Amino acid sequence: MVNLDDLKKEAKRILQDDKVKYVVGYTRSSAGPLASPVFIEDPEKIGELIWDASCVQNLAKFLLDEKRRKGRAKKPDTRPIAIVVKGCDSRSVNVLLQEKYIERKDVFLLGVSCEDLGVVDQKKIAQRFEGKTIQDIKFDLSPELAVTTEDGTVKLPIQEVLADRCLECQANFPVVYDVLLGDKSRKKVDEPFGSLEEIESMAAPQRWEFWQEQLGKCVRCYACRSACPMCYCDECVVDTIAFAVAADTSAEEKAQKIKWIEKSPTKSENFGYHMVRAIHLAGRCIDCGECERVCPVSIPLRHLNKKLEKAAKQLFDYNAGFEPDKPALVSSFRDEDPEDFIR
Amino acid sequence: MAGKYEPTIVAFLCKWCSSAGSDLAGVSRMQYPPNVVPITVMCSGSVSPLYILNAFKKGADGVLVSGCHPGDCHYIKGNYFARRRIALVKELLEFIGLEPERFKMSWVSAAEGTKYTQIIKDFVDVLEPLGPQMKLRREQ
Repeated sequence: MVNLDDLKKEAKRILQDDKVKYVVGYTRSSAGPLASPVFIEDPEKIGELIWDASCVQNLAKFLLDEKRRKGRAKKPDTRPIAIVVKGCDSRSVNVLLQEKYIERKDVFLLGVSCEDLGVVDQKKIAQRFEGKTIQDIKFDLSPELAVTTEDGTVKLPIQEVLADRCLECQANFPVVYDVLLGDKSRKKVDEPFGSLEEIESMAAPQRWEFWQEQLGKCVRCYACRSACPMCYCDECVVDTIAFAVAADTSAEEKAQKIKWIEKSPTKSENFGYHMVRAIHLAGRCIDCGECERVCPVSIPLRHLNKKLEKAAKQLFDYNAGFEPDKPALVSSFRDEDPEDFIR
Repeated sequence: MAGKYEPTIVAFLCKWCSSAGSDLAGVSRMQYPPNVVPITVMCSGSVSPLYILNAFKKGADGVLVSGCHPGDCHYIKGNYFARRRIALVKELLEFIGLEPERFKMSWVSAAEGTKYTQIIKDFVDVLEPLGPQMKLRREQ
């Protein structure tokens, strides 16, 4: 069981010892029942920190912002920043370390174990109480949450509204950390790729129909890209001008640059965008589910990434985020890689 | 005229083996279907998944990526990287519902002109009954 007081104590200690610049954690949000990220510099304000099943965000994203900020500063503050990481988040830190985007000394990891549970899926809660207005949800560290609607308060086991990714979680505790709170016992997962079965069992034309409907909804707001801790490229290939524009870049040069994917949210461009994103995340996506959570039109984006995670596991025995010292999936190979599809 | 459908194949051929293989087929006057648009790339490992998706987007009915046999790569290990990457692209294309027959990879050495012609012949035979690829094609 994670003791919140221990988390606060640890966070306070590193702030007081001036070990870190600030702590990124979760706090109660004024905007809704889910926790929101908080940046704490003052050790006296450490009481704002919370930890429960409403802490859905992957805070590793803020490491990217911090790196950019450091790069811009004339005299960068080189102290590390501390972030609170769940199991999945710690694996995304691992991938960033593997790709040498950040250094281990740049970050202090306050690991919290999800233990037998995980985090909730807000959409699932909303579905449970369809037609009613959810006024308040009380989270605490117990395996139940109390949902208040106009009909009164109902107790609901968290297990029933757990996010899909938590049901298939392969690391319910942090795999890299400086301080660990909570148990390091592995949760038993029967089918790590169970959510894919429904789509995989369809015939190809049905699968096409499914994805055409889903990706057809995309409005290309790029929220998935913004929320993804692995999407850290300064220039993205899907942007119309995906190259450095300097003062002396001529209009001809800009016009002649290949536009791989157009901005318009049409079928072919949407497929292009999402497939390229999936390929670029192969062997890097650690299934934190942020892309799917932030999607305003509820595209099941996780499935695309999960499919490639499954391929990486089955074809190449590669587990993203577990071995930061090994080379990345697509920059390595084994002699025995399958080639039965090659003629 | 109600003839059979003539598919378009975009073939990414590596400069050192497959392209030379297709050249051999040409200079040896071997007969094979003219449906293929060969694009020479420096190495099969340099074929980005973007090239493949864009070939489909611009109207290819089938895409072939061809490189040197394992161990024969001019750049020592480019085709091993390609093998991994293409396997992932293939998984993804199948997952979104594209016919798996539309995307192929092959090893063709500079001496295998006959194998190259056979691959193209078979590919055309497979693509003909499938008709035009409209799924990933850009809407006009």
